[in-house]
Amino acid sequence: MRTGLSSPSVWALVFLVAVAGCGVGPSGVFDAGEAPTGVAPGTTLYFVDDNDELRPQFRRTERLGTVSDAVSLLLTGPGDSEVRTEIAPTSVTSVEVTTHPETIELRVPLDIDDVTPVGIDQIVCTARTSHVQNGGSERTRIRIRFVQFTPESEIRRTCPLYE
Amino acid sequence: MGRWWPRGLRPRLLAGFALVTVLGSLAATWAITESAGEALVASNQRRISETVSGQIGAVTHEVSHPPDQAALDRVRDSVGPDTLVVFEDLRSVDGARADLITDELREAVREGDRVVTQRVVDVDRPWLLVGAPVMITDPDGERAPSGIEVYTVRDLSAVQEEVDALVRAAAAAGAAVLVLAALLALVTARGVLRPVRELRDTARRLAAGDLDARTEPQGVDELAELTVTINEMAESVQGSMATMERMRADARRFAADVSHELRTPLSTLTAVTEVLAASTEDMAQDARESAGMAITETRRLVRMVEDLMEVSRFDAGSVRLREEEVDMVSAVRDTLRARNRLDRVELHAPQEVPVRVDRRRLDVIVANLVGNALRHGEPPVRVGVFADRTHVNLVVTDNGPGLAEHVVPHVFDRFFKADSARTRTPGSGLGLAIALENARLHDGDLTAGNGDDGGARFVLRLPRAPGQTAPGRERGIQE
Repeated sequence: MRTGLSSPSVWALVFLVAVAGCGVGPSGVFDAGEAPTGVAPGTTLYFVDDNDELRPQFRRTERLGTVSDAVSLLLTGPGDSEVRTEIAPTSVTSVEVTTHPETIELRVPLDIDDVTPVGIDQIVCTARTSHVQNGGSERTRIRIRFVQFTPESEIRRTCPLYE
Repeated sequence: MGRWWPRGLRPRLLAGFALVTVLGSLAATWAITESAGEALVASNQRRISETVSGQIGAVTHEVSHPPDQAALDRVRDSVGPDTLVVFEDLRSVDGARADLITDELREAVREGDRVVTQRVVDVDRPWLLVGAPVMITDPDGERAPSGIEVYTVRDLSAVQEEVDALVRAAAAAGAAVLVLAALLALVTARGVLRPVRELRDTARRLAAGDLDARTEPQGVDELAELTVTINEMAESVQGSMATMERMRADARRFAADVSHELRTPLSTLTAVTEVLAASTEDMAQDARESAGMAITETRRLVRMVEDLMEVSRFDAGSVRLREEEVDMVSAVRDTLRARNRLDRVELHAPQEVPVRVDRRRLDVIVANLVGNALRHGEPPVRVGVFADRTHVNLVVTDNGPGLAEHVVPHVFDRFFKADSARTRTPGSGLGLAIALENARLHDGDLTAGNGDDGGARFVLRLPRAPGQTAPGRERGIQE
């Protein structure tokens, strides 16, 4: 009997061990979620080829840049290449981007008359790709708000290439 | 049980309650800190790794690819101090704690495509290591490592403190409960112990002879049942005792009545035998012998009835001591002289032993002892008187065969005969019993045994001053 848990000091020890065991100790390596992304040697823009189809064009800009950067670059046109743009040239290329939970809202310096439906797809696909490459969701929809009021501003669009 | 286990009911209850409480609070503390602590740590780690991911993700679009040193520095700045950013041979490091980053973690980052964490303890403080590979996402959504790896070290001691506070709170609650449990145990022990104590007191009173002692049963539990049972037992014992007492009293009264009733006819008979004794000379030889026998037997009958009446008085408790200062030696000598025994008994005694006794009763004791020795033992019969500081001893020895071993315990019994064949002895059979009663009346004692030379040896031991008790006090069974 004497060899049992005989004295208060033993109980105190048990208590201490139990309490001390509940601290923050070292651990192994654990997974902690998705890795960050957003690095790229350049940005991808979408233009129209001779078959009136959207064609991605990679611009080596050294960095990926934001959605706004990508769309602004798109508005500057295709330059000297075998693709064309369906967006009317404009001197103002700054694009304002607002990100909502499931939507990206672009304020473009254009009217609805400045773009054809393919031109709208160009903007949508460029913005969508930049967003995805920056770590965004592929299901995000794009809403283009034109300078003057038009019902087209309310539509939440997806890129036809990635549906 | 071992000696560490307390014996009393109260400490045992206390210890039991305390043990249960300590175990309970230990279990609760362990469970709380284990789960809550884990949850706390996990949520903190998740928050930290999400923050780091977000900080990296916020600057990646500005980072050139392949990155130069300035780009790595930019990523490192965005994450904060104690951060290491690696791309192929390029390194950007800040803070001494970056040394804590383990090879294990770097391996996991290089080979995987997800953020990983690892806890380490350095200088008694917990740290969280976060390792994140930076990915390249192509337009299709496919991801591939960019080759940029970000490692950072974050302090977890705030979490440690939160967990510690949790443990302290649980321990404090446990201690408080322990106090409560002790109080509860005391209250419970009181509830159990009070009836037990009452029962014990009742049992003690019963054992001490107070047969009226009872305990009022309270409640309907086992203790109450026990109380009822003990009360019933006391009731039954009391009834039996009363019956037995009544029967003994009846027997005693009968003996007293008989001896009393015998006295009157016996005195007549005595008177007649006196007359007979006076006229034996005129009788024929055989008639004279018969008359002599009648006279002897009548005297014996008278003595027996007198002894019986004396015994009855002892039994009835109506005996009174008349103590006076007496010289023991001269009292003994007077007794021997009055019975003409001085020439047959050797008296060994100092000059004078003053003692306070009832002279008549001392005479009865000495006469009985000496008569007994002369009747049953062989001469010489010796009587010795010794005194010590508190007692006077009177020793009567004879030179006979002594007392048989089976006789010794019974010599003071009434009507005891050592030799059953010898039915007709001159004594009444009550002499030694009366002597013992008289000795006890003086707070003394009378013992029988055998001397060193084999003869019977009776020792009367009387206190020198029995006066602690008032003279004339009554003795015997209370009625």
